[in-house]
Amino acid sequence: MSVKEKLKKVLIEDLNLEDLTPDEIDDDMALFGEGLGLDSLDAVELVVVVQKHFGVEIKDMEEGRPALQSISTLARFIEEKQGQ
Amino acid sequence: MSSWSSRSLGRNWQHQFFYLAIRLGGRRLAYFVLNFIVAWYVLFSREARRRCRFYLERRFPQAGRRQRLVQSYRLLQSFGQVLIDRATVGICGADQFRVTLRGKEDLLALLARNRGLILINAHVGCWQVAMSALGFMETPVNLLMQREEGDIDRHYFDHAGIECPYHIIDPRGFLGGALEMMAVLKRGEVLSVMGDRMLGDDRNGVPVDFLGGRVLVPYSAYKLAAATGAPVVALFSYKTGPASYQLELFRTITAPVSSGRDAQAFVPCAQEFADSLAAFCQRHPFQFFNFFNMWYE
Repeated sequence: MSVKEKLKKVLIEDLNLEDLTPDEIDDDMALFGEGLGLDSLDAVELVVVVQKHFGVEIKDMEEGRPALQSISTLARFIEEKQGQ
Repeated sequence: MSSWSSRSLGRNWQHQFFYLAIRLGGRRLAYFVLNFIVAWYVLFSREARRRCRFYLERRFPQAGRRQRLVQSYRLLQSFGQVLIDRATVGICGADQFRVTLRGKEDLLALLARNRGLILINAHVGCWQVAMSALGFMETPVNLLMQREEGDIDRHYFDHAGIECPYHIIDPRGFLGGALEMMAVLKRGEVLSVMGDRMLGDDRNGVPVDFLGGRVLVPYSAYKLAAATGAPVVALFSYKTGPASYQLELFRTITAPVSSGRDAQAFVPCAQEFADSLAAFCQRHPFQFFNFFNMWYE
């Protein structure tokens, strides 16, 4: 399973997005606001989810802002961190 | 739902007048003048009485009309004194006030866990004067604080012409400052937030019982605690004398370890905070400064 696929799966499970399927989440869909519809408090949960399932820590805003744009940007961030 | 506005009841020239009074005659002169100003507002400003009534009707439901006038006077007088004290610290220096802390050992023990520390305050007493008692913690303090354009009441560091000694996190920043707040807690720092007013979206609040009604309070602090393992304490300040304040740890609140997206999981934490605040209002009925209708039931 690719990082993007796993990411969609854990987002649906851990953020209780049960009315969505992985196929309905576009790779470039915005995670927050319009798009997936997550809010600022979901960002807290998302950081926990990424650490729990991928062992990757989003340390601060400098890392978080570019990473938390879409599934694509977050998957890329995770892959880069895991490759280090 | 929240009808809170940062717009001050007083006008800009009135604030400036008090700053001048403090410069010329110190806190005492400003207090003296305040008594007349407050009397004027209580007698002639229906808006001022209306703003006081939201809280006073909950805190003193049995009060008659005359008692309510006296209570409005006491509430506005206390609030005015706090604003004067805040300005006095900036204009004349922090040594104008003696600040004591109840719960210092507990705070040190919680900090020693090295998981950061979340201080939940409320619009009571004068946190800006009282925060000076936290210098012993020797760790950076970060404040979640929103300042509106056009705010006319100034913070003590504005008066002093110095940079704010605390790092301000703006809730209007990226993702409401959520990542920034997580980062400071991960570094073992202190994060101070207000737990009694909603800022922005009502979805970020949970309903709790408070003074016989239902109010929405934010639950972001408990969510952050659940995510980072940071302990949470309800810490309130109150004026104990003309030149003295006390900062008191009212309660340590334990957040659930993991909660997912369900806001309801944080209701018990928010209720603990509301119960602490209600206990504060019982002890210090005229030091609660939310002049808007918090209650929706």
